[in-house]
Amino acid sequence: MNIEEPESCHGSDMLDWFVGSVPILPSFLDDPYDAGDISSSNPWWEKSQEICQQPINNIDAGTSSLVAQNDSATSDHPQQSDSKKRKTLDDPDPKTSQNHQKRNQNRRGNFEEQDGDQAAVEEAGSGKRSSGNKRSTNKVNTNNNGNGNKEGRWAEQLLNPCASAITVGNFSRVQHFLYVLHELASPTGDANHRLAAHGLRSLTHHLSSSAATSSSASTGPINFASTEPKFFQRSLIKFYEISPWFAFPNNIANGSILQILTQEADHSRTLHILDIGVSHGVQWPTLLEALTRRSGGPPPLVRITVITAAAENVQNTETPFSIGPPGDNFSIRLLSFAKSMNINLQIDRLDDHPLQNLNTQVINTNPEETLIVCAQFRLHHLNHNTPDERTEFLRFLRSLEPKGVILTENNMECSCNNCGDFATGFSRRVEYLWRFLDSTSSAFKGRESEERRVMEGEAAKALTNRYEMNEGKEKWCERMRCVGFVGEALGEDATDGARALLRKYDSNWEMRTDEKDGCVGLWWKGQPVSFSSLWKLDLNGNDS
Amino acid sequence: MDMAIDGFHELDFTIFNTTTTTTTTTTTTDSSENDYDYACNWNDWSPVVDWEALSSDQNDFQDLIESMMDTHGGLKQSPLTDQETCNSMSTSTDTMLVDDETSGEDLKGLRLVHLLMAAAEALTGVNKSRELARVILIRLKELASPHDGTNMERLAAYFTDALQGLLDCNGNVHGKHSVNNGPHHYHYHNRGDQHHSDVLAAFQLLQDMSPYVKFGHFTANQSILEAVAQDRRIHIVDFDIMEGIQWASLMQALASRKDGPSTPHLRITALSRGGSGRKSIRTVQETGRRLTAFAASIGQPFSFHQCRLESDEAFRPSSLKLVRGEALVMNCMLHLPHSEYWSPSSLNPRLITLVEEEVAIGEGGFVGRFMDLLHHFSAMYDSLEAGFPMQSRARTLVEKVFLGPRIAGSLGRIYRARGEEENGSWGEWLAAIGFNQVNLSFANHCQAKLLLGLFNDGYRVEELACNRLVLGWKSRRLLSASVWTSNFNSDPDL
Repeated sequence: MNIEEPESCHGSDMLDWFVGSVPILPSFLDDPYDAGDISSSNPWWEKSQEICQQPINNIDAGTSSLVAQNDSATSDHPQQSDSKKRKTLDDPDPKTSQNHQKRNQNRRGNFEEQDGDQAAVEEAGSGKRSSGNKRSTNKVNTNNNGNGNKEGRWAEQLLNPCASAITVGNFSRVQHFLYVLHELASPTGDANHRLAAHGLRSLTHHLSSSAATSSSASTGPINFASTEPKFFQRSLIKFYEISPWFAFPNNIANGSILQILTQEADHSRTLHILDIGVSHGVQWPTLLEALTRRSGGPPPLVRITVITAAAENVQNTETPFSIGPPGDNFSIRLLSFAKSMNINLQIDRLDDHPLQNLNTQVINTNPEETLIVCAQFRLHHLNHNTPDERTEFLRFLRSLEPKGVILTENNMECSCNNCGDFATGFSRRVEYLWRFLDSTSSAFKGRESEERRVMEGEAAKALTNRYEMNEGKEKWCERMRCVGFVGEALGEDATDGARALLRKYDSNWEMRTDEKDGCVGLWWKGQPVSFSSLWKLDLNGNDS
Repeated sequence: MDMAIDGFHELDFTIFNTTTTTTTTTTTTDSSENDYDYACNWNDWSPVVDWEALSSDQNDFQDLIESMMDTHGGLKQSPLTDQETCNSMSTSTDTMLVDDETSGEDLKGLRLVHLLMAAAEALTGVNKSRELARVILIRLKELASPHDGTNMERLAAYFTDALQGLLDCNGNVHGKHSVNNGPHHYHYHNRGDQHHSDVLAAFQLLQDMSPYVKFGHFTANQSILEAVAQDRRIHIVDFDIMEGIQWASLMQALASRKDGPSTPHLRITALSRGGSGRKSIRTVQETGRRLTAFAASIGQPFSFHQCRLESDEAFRPSSLKLVRGEALVMNCMLHLPHSEYWSPSSLNPRLITLVEEEVAIGEGGFVGRFMDLLHHFSAMYDSLEAGFPMQSRARTLVEKVFLGPRIAGSLGRIYRARGEEENGSWGEWLAAIGFNQVNLSFANHCQAKLLLGLFNDGYRVEELACNRLVLGWKSRRLLSASVWTSNFNSDPDL
């Protein structure tokens, strides 16, 4: 096996892909990688150029420069000094981190503490910058102190009692909480203020819809579907750069795919990936790049069959992250990227195929190819009872006889009406959104930006989504076993790669591997966010 | 009736040359009772805000939401969006401008009440959250300033400060410790901060604007005059003498009394507390000097003493110098030393004159009592505004000097008493430890009514017990004056 650190190439590849294929993107995206043009005028870029020689810091430099550059586009360059601080803090011993990145995992804490300090520095600096941001700067630091500390999470202490009051029909309490929430909610404050804003909208939406009127179904915040395709892709990529929310499970998935391929005897088989995910293509350049590096080169043909979420389906539009803006088509860019890598790529896009209606003909599998299913953050769209669409769908996947199934889901309790009353479901949605908003606030260093608004607005759909959503890891695993899959532990390469990737993000993120079921969990401040698992056909057991 | 309604000409406070104006009451609201909880009862306390207009049918979510949507141009357009800073008072003007465009003062008042209540809940409720309380208080400070805005806004600002005080002092582990500092911890503390001239001016203004001061003083003095009619020596122990205004009128009455022994000797002992700092000790000394001079000018035999207590020291009868044959009177104008340690019975006072605030004792623990306090003080603010509608600066000063500290003190008291049995009023306590009621005379009643006649129609007086008069504003009871005597040596003269 010969996979050379696919994770360390993650950042640069993605950008190469973009820079190469999408000339219309704002030029700042390629600045750090085309430093020759501007380095003479700006010493800071020179510095990032030097650091690019070290793989790990390469990523960091890429990230930070993106962040810094983008912010200075909206504000008038007060970022310069902050960026320098960042450099001096990041610099201490890049060599060590390079040499020991695989073995010396313990360095992580140390390394990222500095990152944390630096975040605080930037927080303070950004406070004087723009009026929209002030509110956040005073609070972010206190919020981020405790690991999973409930005390700092004040928005939930208004939202959840309000939901409870709705459940028991105590209208005056509801009115009281709505008043207070209205005072404290802000779409641009810290994570708590934002959660209050999203939660308030959700509660009023719920109340108005239960009163059976349509009028006040107010326009929600900006989300994926309401963005420009170009801006949408840029937002998504930026989010990948600064938060592992999706980047980490994607990385695990890619690592798993590579792992399966190495176990295949025949390297000349076609690789067929069934993409049931929310990455909107962002996941694949890294994989393609890794495929070129493996011994024997890439498979002769790589097929990616993308099951897009059908926009007409209300259930999907209300589920976060699944629907991109109309007109967004990553296939062209991905194909041109593959071409530049000398990979024979075929993309089949299956629009308007609800998961419930998928069948073998539509997917067009071929017994001669290595079929791998990559299902990430999408299967929870399916009902889990009456009818149990989830198990049905997994059974369908089993019937495809894939070489592997990667299943990633939010590792949270179900919030549907069958699993608890309104207040219970609401509190679980709020919990989900809190983790997203809190971690995203850290990812954006507390700064406001359009990209942040898009991601958060999209995530906030979870609150208004009245359908079934989420399920704990154990239940998913049980379903998989039930339909005839068996869990496969991730190999060292995949886990090491994921661990290395996680190192570049906020130190509150952690990876937890469950020895028992082989799942890899992504945790934020000691709370589970998602789990990723690899499954193979259970050839001995109950074949369905 | 030997009364001294205009006995203050000698004490010259003319910093603000204000006159009493009388306005008719503006709104009366019906109370639509709602049993859900205290949050619903805003309808029946109209003083500051016309609640009626705001509280639509409580059972109709749709109206509520739509009204919120309409008045705020959609929920996502939160007023916070354009906030500049969190703590600066200056932002409140911006916010108010925004609010004035989109909604009325009334809605803002309602918003403030909701926030205050939520803050009180966050401090003590089941889901106690200091962080939530902190955030709410920050928002309140953005919305309300003690210096300007509507009554409700200024009132909310003082409640905000008081809540902030509770939050801060609760931050240290020894929050409970302050129990021993008694109910007036804040009061003394804050009083010490005030400029003496401010206190004098505010006191004079308060007298002009409302009958609160004179109601207490006159009722007490009338009772004293009646109780000591036959005495040659009178000793008054005053628990908070302040500027001593009360005693000028008493001296005039004593000096000119026609029946009984002429011009009895008057001795006043002023209690002062060390915790309030040098300033207040100096104030008391100054008061003594002024009273002495005044007594001399009208030929009233007079002596003045000061009895200092440490801030945490209980009042002990032994610290008083008592002279045989003196008629002892204890005068408590809103200030009683820690009742836990003090047993007035050992002094056998001829008379105890007591003026205390009438705050309805509500259900619902701290939050319920908190709302009662809010009602109480909003009525007070409203009455002051009715008396002096145009004198907002004057009212602001009165609020700062008197009401602000009193709000903090009252709030501190109910906060520390949470979870415990309500102590009840001081009057109840006096009765419980064996003091007897002293009937208020017909003259005293008439005097109170006459006094109220000088002020706004909204004031009224009611007799709650034979020894107790209550001053109210509209439907709200605000102050009560009661008189008591020790039953240990029942004086046939009484």
